[in-house]
Amino acid sequence: MNAMTAKLVVEGLCHHYPDEYTGESVHALEDINLELYEGELVSVVGPSGCGKSTLLNILAGLLPYKVGKASVDGKVIEGPGPDRGVVFQEHAILPWRTVSRNIGHGLEIRGLPKEEISRRVQEYVDLVGLSGFEDKYPHELSGGMKQRCAVARTLCADPIVMLMDEPFAAVDAQTRITLQEELNRIALATKKTILFITHSVDEAAFLADRCLVFSARPGRLKQIVTVDIPREKRIWENMNADAEFIRCRDEILRLVREEVSVAIEE
Amino acid sequence: MQSKSKGPSLAWRFQRLLQIDAMNLVILIIGVYIVWSIISALIDNPARYLPSPIAVALSSVDMLYKGLLPSYFGDTLMRLISGSIIGLAVGIPFGLVLGINRTVADMFHPIMNFFQSVSGIAIFPIVVIWWGNSDKTIFAVILYTAFFPIAFNVLSGVREIPIRYISAARTLGASRFQVIKDVLLPGAMPHIATGSRLSIGFAWRAVIAGEMLAGQQGLGWMIFTGQDADRTAEVVLGMMLIGVTWIILDHYLLRPFEADTIERWGLVQR
Amino acid sequence: MTTAVTALSTSIQRRIGRQKLRKFILGAIPFVFLLVIWQMNTAFEWLPPVFIPPMGDVFGAIITLQEDCIGLIGAITMHNSCSMTNNIFSSMGRVILAAVIGLPLGIAFGIIAGMNRTASKFLEPIGVFANSISGIAWIPLAIVWFGVGWLTTLFIMLNTIFWLMFFNSMLGVRGIAKVYEQSVLTMGGSRMDVIRHVYLPGAMPSIITGMRMSMGFGWRALIAAEMVGGDSGLGFMIFTASEEFKIEEVFLGVIIISIIFMATDRYFLAPLEKWTIERWGLVWKPT
Repeated sequence: MNAMTAKLVVEGLCHHYPDEYTGESVHALEDINLELYEGELVSVVGPSGCGKSTLLNILAGLLPYKVGKASVDGKVIEGPGPDRGVVFQEHAILPWRTVSRNIGHGLEIRGLPKEEISRRVQEYVDLVGLSGFEDKYPHELSGGMKQRCAVARTLCADPIVMLMDEPFAAVDAQTRITLQEELNRIALATKKTILFITHSVDEAAFLADRCLVFSARPGRLKQIVTVDIPREKRIWENMNADAEFIRCRDEILRLVREEVSVAIEE
Repeated sequence: MQSKSKGPSLAWRFQRLLQIDAMNLVILIIGVYIVWSIISALIDNPARYLPSPIAVALSSVDMLYKGLLPSYFGDTLMRLISGSIIGLAVGIPFGLVLGINRTVADMFHPIMNFFQSVSGIAIFPIVVIWWGNSDKTIFAVILYTAFFPIAFNVLSGVREIPIRYISAARTLGASRFQVIKDVLLPGAMPHIATGSRLSIGFAWRAVIAGEMLAGQQGLGWMIFTGQDADRTAEVVLGMMLIGVTWIILDHYLLRPFEADTIERWGLVQR
Repeated sequence: MTTAVTALSTSIQRRIGRQKLRKFILGAIPFVFLLVIWQMNTAFEWLPPVFIPPMGDVFGAIITLQEDCIGLIGAITMHNSCSMTNNIFSSMGRVILAAVIGLPLGIAFGIIAGMNRTASKFLEPIGVFANSISGIAWIPLAIVWFGVGWLTTLFIMLNTIFWLMFFNSMLGVRGIAKVYEQSVLTMGGSRMDVIRHVYLPGAMPSIITGMRMSMGFGWRALIAAEMVGGDSGLGFMIFTASEEFKIEEVFLGVIIISIIFMATDRYFLAPLEKWTIERWGLVWKPT
C-alpha cells in the first residue's frame, strides 16, 4: 500500500428501514466497519439486496443513518457534499448540458472562474477520451461515453473519495471491458481513493486493491480479499493467464456463491 | 410500454383511489372548506361576493327541491353527449380518409388548420345570426369545437401505422375495405381514444359557453343568470358542479378508456 | 462518381422544392374553392347577404370601422374613432399582460409545488379541480367581483393561463428523475443550484408545452370573456356586431381572431416548442 492515511472510515454502521408495502422493518446493514486508505480502490461485492447500494447512499449523504459513524478525512458525514463524488448507476449526467458543461458543473457550483474551469475540464475530457465530443449533448452519446462523462464529471470536482455505484452495469459487455481498463488507467494516473460497488465478481477482482465481500441480508462484511496485482499490469488480455487474478476471482466467486445459496435456501 | 395484456379494472382503480388518495382528499377538502369559510366570514356582503360553503350547500338543496338542478344538469349533459357523439362520428371518418390518401391530406390540412384557429366560441356570433338563440346554435358551436381534435388525431394515427402492416394485409389478398377494417382502424385506435378525450373536453367548454351566450337552460345558463339575478351562491354551486362533473367524466371514464385502449391496441413492438 | 453524386443531390433538392410547391398548390385549392363559392353566393344569392355577407362588404367593414380614424397616429394612440384597431390592441394588450403576469407566476408556483413531493400530492387535486372548472365558467363570478370590463376579461385569461401553467410545471418537475437532483447535491450544490440546474431545465419541455397550451386556451377564454363580460376587444366587437346584425363585421372580426391566433401559434409558440424538444430531446423522460 502506497500511503497509510485512512480517507474514509466507517465504524459500526447499522441501518434499518421500513418496508414500503408491509411496513415491517428491514435490516439492511449490520455493524459495518471499513477503512479506505489514500489512493486505494476498494470494491464491494455481494448478492443483490445485501445493502451495497444502501451503504453507498449513506456514504454519499443521500440517506440519513442513526447507528454508527461514517467520516471522510475525519469529518463526519451529515449530508451530501463535494468531498465525496458519486458516479451513479443510471446515466445521471444532466441531459440539458453539453459534455463539457456537465464535466465542469462541480467547479461551476463551487464558483471557480471560467478560464480555470475550462482548463480543468479540458484536462479531464482528454483523460477519459472524450475529445471532440465537448459540445455534444448526452442524448447524442453512446452509453459508454455517457458513463465516461459521468466519471470525468466526478473526477473534475476533485473529491477526496470517489463513490461508484455499479457504474458499468447499464452498458454492453464489450464497452464494459473497455471502461474497466480505462478506470484502472485513471486510478493509476490520478491516485484517487475509490469505493466501487458492483455485483460482477470479475469486475471486482480486476479493479480492486481490496475486495470486500458482503453477506446476504442483513448486509455484513463477510471477508476481505486482497488483490495483489500492480495496476500497470492489469489488462484483460493478461488476466486470463494471471495466477493471482484467477485465485482472487475464484475466492470471491466462492464467497459470493455461498451467500447466494444461503439467500435461496431462506 | 408494459407488456401486461390487460389494464387494471375500473373497480380496482377505484379501490386504490379510496385507499391512498381518500385521506389526502379529505384533508384537502376540509382545508379548503375552512379557508373558504374564513374568507367569506371576513368580507363585507358575502352573499354577493363569496357566499359561505353552507350558503352554497343550502342553495343546492333549494334548487334540488325545485327540481331545477337535475333539469339543468340533464340538459347540459345531453348536449354534451349528443354533440360529442355526432362530432366524433363526423371527425373519425374524415380523419381516416385524410390519413389514407396523402393528396387529400395535403389538400385539406391547411384549411383545417385555419378553421381550427377560429375557436368554436368565436363562430357563435355568426351562427346566432343564422339560427338565433336556439339549441341549434349551441349545437353548431359544440360540433365545430369537437370536430378538429378528433379529425387531426385520427389523421396522425393512420399516418403512423407502419406501411408493412398494410402491405402484409394486401399480400394476403385483403380488399381496400378490409385493410381499413382490419389494419387502419385498429392501428389508429390509441389515437382515436386520445382524440376522443380531447374532443369531448373541448365540447364540454363549448357547451358551457354556448349555454351562457345563447341563454338556453343548463349549467352554463344557471351560472350566468345567477350572476344577473345577484344569486352568487348559485353561481358558485354551478361552477363546482361543472368542475366535479368534468373530473368524474375525465378521470373515471375518459382517461381509463384511453389508457385501456392504448394498452390493448398500442403497437407494443414499435 | 462525384458527378453522379452531385446530380443525385440536385435532383433530390429539386424534388423537395417540387414537393413543397405541390403541397402549397394542393393546400390552396380548398381556399380558392371556398372563395369562389362565396363570390358565387354573392352573385346568385343562394343565401341572403344577411347570412353570408358579400366579400367586398367584409373588407369594406375595415374602412367603415376605421372611418374617422386619423391615420396611423390615431390608431397607435387608440383614438376613439379607430374602433377596429382599438379592439385589436385591447385584446392583444390583455393577452400580453396576462402572459407577462400569468406565465412566470404559474411556472414559479408550479416549480415550488413540484419540489416538495408531499405538498404536490395535495396541490395536484387543486390543480385538477381548477383546470376542470374551465376558464369560461369563471366569467359570471368574475363579473360579480370586478364588474363588466377590463378587469374581468384580464382575470379570466390570467386564471386560465395560471392554472394550466402551474399544473404543467408541477408535473414537469415531478417527472424529473431523482438521480439528477442527487448528482447536483453530491457535488456540493445548494437547493438553489438544484432549482437552477435541474428543476428549471428539466421541466422545460413540460413548461413550453404548457405555455403553448395555456396561450391557446387563454385566447379562447379571453374571446368568450370579452363577449359576455367585456366592453372592448375582438370578442366584444363581434358580439355587439352580431347583436346589430352587422354580419360583415362579425366575419371580419372572426378572420382577424383566427389570423392572430394562427400567427402566434405557428410562428412563435410551435417553433419554440419544437426547438426545446429538439435541443434537449425528450430523452430524459423518466421511464
